[in-house]
Amino acid sequence: MLSRISRRNFLSRSTKAAAIIGAATVVGLPKKSKAKENDNLKVYGTMIDLTLCDGCAHLDTPACVSSCKDKNQHKYPQPIEEIQDYWPRTTHEDWSDRKHITDRLTPYNWTYVQKVKVVDDKGLEHNLSIQRRCMHCDNPPCGNLCPFGVHNKTPEGAVVIDTDYCMGGAKCRDTCAWGIPQRQAGVGLYLKVLPKFAGGGVMYKCDFCHDLLKIGQMPACQSACPKSAIVVGEKSEMLSLAKARAKEINGYIYGEEENGGTSTFYVSPVSFDKINQALKDQNIVDGKPGAPHMKPNVDNILDSTKGYAASVLIAPVAGAFAAGVLAHKTLKRGDEDNEQ
Amino acid sequence: MNNKLLRHRPVVRAVHWMTAISTFILIFSGIGQMPMYKRYMLSELPGLAWTADFQATLVLHYIAATILVLAAIFHAVYHISLKEFTIIPRRGDVKESFLIIKAMFGFGEEPPSGKYLAEQRLAYAYIAFSLFLIIVTGIIKVIKNFATFSISEATMIWVTLLHNIGMIMIMIGIIMHLVAFIFKENRALVPSMFTGYISKEYVKHRHSIWYEELEQSNKEIKQGNGEITNNNAAL
Repeated sequence: MLSRISRRNFLSRSTKAAAIIGAATVVGLPKKSKAKENDNLKVYGTMIDLTLCDGCAHLDTPACVSSCKDKNQHKYPQPIEEIQDYWPRTTHEDWSDRKHITDRLTPYNWTYVQKVKVVDDKGLEHNLSIQRRCMHCDNPPCGNLCPFGVHNKTPEGAVVIDTDYCMGGAKCRDTCAWGIPQRQAGVGLYLKVLPKFAGGGVMYKCDFCHDLLKIGQMPACQSACPKSAIVVGEKSEMLSLAKARAKEINGYIYGEEENGGTSTFYVSPVSFDKINQALKDQNIVDGKPGAPHMKPNVDNILDSTKGYAASVLIAPVAGAFAAGVLAHKTLKRGDEDNEQ
Repeated sequence: MNNKLLRHRPVVRAVHWMTAISTFILIFSGIGQMPMYKRYMLSELPGLAWTADFQATLVLHYIAATILVLAAIFHAVYHISLKEFTIIPRRGDVKESFLIIKAMFGFGEEPPSGKYLAEQRLAYAYIAFSLFLIIVTGIIKVIKNFATFSISEATMIWVTLLHNIGMIMIMIGIIMHLVAFIFKENRALVPSMFTGYISKEYVKHRHSIWYEELEQSNKEIKQGNGEITNNNAAL
């Protein structure tokens, strides 16, 4: 049988085989044309100026927080009455009796203000108010690693959870550098599958008001801010704005490099190392869900595993090459045996 | 070795075991990515805390995926290059498989077979299709994890769903593959994936068409000498 293959034909056949398989694989590849469709659309970013925000000292609840609540009220979870535990565990996450909490991120509160006292290098005390919410990362691990593909980045740059199909495994919270998405049990698709054994509810977080961005309007928190401390616009412009402001006040930027880059740029007169330390010391970051830290240069799980991901993409080439070499060897041996 | 015949060359065995081991690791780390091990407290067992660490299971998934993709592409390119298609299903294989399984339960006569039984060809096609589905959807998922690519939700819902369905299909495939060895008739094939050899008597009896082909081609090669050599494993 082997002897029937002439060596002249061999190379062409190996190449063809590799090409056919390569083509079959490529057919499934994502098309970049999606981005083209939205060429005329902007990718948005936010600049948050911590020198301007006073946490709405004159109000019980900061305007950004209450405007967010007003705008997103209709999207908040409406869980069933008798929520089952996450078997075999004897717990479940239920925030439905604490809907009015505004001092951390919950399924019913997608943004909040961390009020912290920080002393700078010169011994000057700053009372900072920091609006916290999803940073809308450039390469969001929360969305990319979603096992059901229902957590994605929109063309506007918003990272959005599709609450209709979310199973509530909370992997997005675990892979998020800040643990932003929060879970409500007793709601969502998992109730229709195996509610006792799989899934845990639905994850909720800031969606950058992408419905408003789509029609050229600004997110609710931006529109509501009385100090214009939150500026939303073309992402590259927001970064330039943040850099200019940081230069002006000899300050610091958070969100440009963190988690591999985000769409939210905080500008502060105090270093974020100090802010992060103060947040912990004052128990504002208490280690419980929904109280994000401000650690500089946090890593993105997708960046630290990038090399391994690349090896998967190189594997087909290596496999085809090795096959060609070994098939040729087998063929040659067959020929030699026949010549004996 | 006179009473034995080479059924699987070392390279074929290597590909089989690379596929098998990487698939097991992929299933285990994939379930970890679902996420399951924290909830089901596997990560609380001694030495298994890493199973709840998404970075650990992701790296493991990538490494095993590299081995699987390498083995699968190697398999396809290698056998197409050598024009070895005896394992590809043929017309009538479903009916013939039914007759073979019926015969295993003692009803009727088993039809004569080539190197592979009809049911083996069908099982191959099923596993090959499942792996193809998993690899194609998996590669899309890998590409999406690079910062430069962003794929729409409409696509990702399908890609992840098919990837998850592929996993269930391959798990069913593995179970069926192992269940086949419950039947005594199939057990003589087990050594083939370890040593490469199976008994000549078994080939004569169960793969009579292959046996005749081996004899025929051996006659052509050795010009009249009836002894079957090991060069014929390709058939």
